[in-house]
Amino acid sequence: MKGGIDFHTHPLLVREMVQRHPGLAKAARETFLIGNTFQPLETFLLELDTVGLGRAVVLPIDATGTRGTTVYSNEQIAELCAMSDRLIGFASVDPCRESAADELEHAISDLHLRGLKLAPAMQQMFPDHPSLEPVYARAEALGIPILFHAGMSWEPGSRLAYGQPLRFEPVAADHPSLRIVLAHLAWPWVMEAVALALKYPNVYLDTSALYFDNPPDFLRFAMTVQVPLSVFERSLRRQIVFGSNYPRVEVKNMARAVRGLGLSDGCLDLVFRSNAETLLGEES
Amino acid sequence: MIIKLERVEVQSRTDMEMIDVTAEVDRVVAASGAREGVVLVLTCHTSSGLLVTEGIECLERDVLAHLERLAPKQPPEGAYGYWHNRYLDFDGRLGFNAGDHLKSILGGVNCFFPIENGAVVRGSRQRVYFVEYDGPLARTVLIQVIGQ
Repeated sequence: MKGGIDFHTHPLLVREMVQRHPGLAKAARETFLIGNTFQPLETFLLELDTVGLGRAVVLPIDATGTRGTTVYSNEQIAELCAMSDRLIGFASVDPCRESAADELEHAISDLHLRGLKLAPAMQQMFPDHPSLEPVYARAEALGIPILFHAGMSWEPGSRLAYGQPLRFEPVAADHPSLRIVLAHLAWPWVMEAVALALKYPNVYLDTSALYFDNPPDFLRFAMTVQVPLSVFERSLRRQIVFGSNYPRVEVKNMARAVRGLGLSDGCLDLVFRSNAETLLGEES
Repeated sequence: MIIKLERVEVQSRTDMEMIDVTAEVDRVVAASGAREGVVLVLTCHTSSGLLVTEGIECLERDVLAHLERLAPKQPPEGAYGYWHNRYLDFDGRLGFNAGDHLKSILGGVNCFFPIENGAVVRGSRQRVYFVEYDGPLARTVLIQVIGQ
């Protein structure tokens, strides 16, 4: 598993960045609603080390239109990634802005970010809204993946309806070469998310789901009771990526939960490493 | 009268770990200028501990292993569960480290030593340990000297 990737992290607790940009503390506390102590970047990297992972995708959220703030700007993500070659930066754009597609191209071409994060519930725009079409077309042209928040959101004011998997179907169907990731297994609509992934090979799911109990118990419910584990092992083995949703969940706890599900070693290697590399265009 | 409080940051590097902080305690006492008195040592975190034991690696492993047996991170299947498995709105996340909090209670969170002639008085085998139960994390240990 060495060289594995955590495909879903939010670098909200990185103390060095909060010291440089005090507004990030407010965004972490008031927009993302995370209350943990700020930590040196080293802690985050040690989290990865603890479970043998090499790198992590770090995600911003541009919620300027709805919350009046970004939870990390694209420039701040690039600044963070300059601190460690173990971090893979994604961009975010506010879909309300007409310039969103151009901003995305700037983030990829000039800031060297590697993908796009969209959070329909926080950005209050359904993923099948026509105004997002230029953003999807640009992402497809740039050859980058899009990671969508899907399923339930904890943040107050974030309506569940924005995360329903079927609202993502037009994106997958109309852009077959655009790789999209539905985060959090789109819980509670795991079956619908699985149906999308079964039908559309460009749809991936990430494992960063935890809404009650603890990581091993929750994932056992979502990935063996709601949907049989054999579906992930046999049919979707190339469309599942490991994500922790750090710092809402520690990397170590989510990684151990995924490894404890009973997936084969070959499938775990796909989930923790190979599928993420494919999404990032790194496959050899 | 001398009262001096110092906050020392300790970076744990793995999930469970014993970190010898004796030298830090000695340093704070020496810097305080106190000739006689007491030094108090306390961890600020409820999923970590502060304890005193002999400073050898095999015993460090035994302490951690025994506390994990007493308060496992994941209880044995079907045996019992933890209530501390729910969304904590003040933290924006679920709590699911009950076993680590229980280890902290069982192992203790503080210790104190006398100060005599400007030095900490402790048994020849005694070392002061910060104990991480839920790392890796940057943690804070309080060291306070009260003396004269």
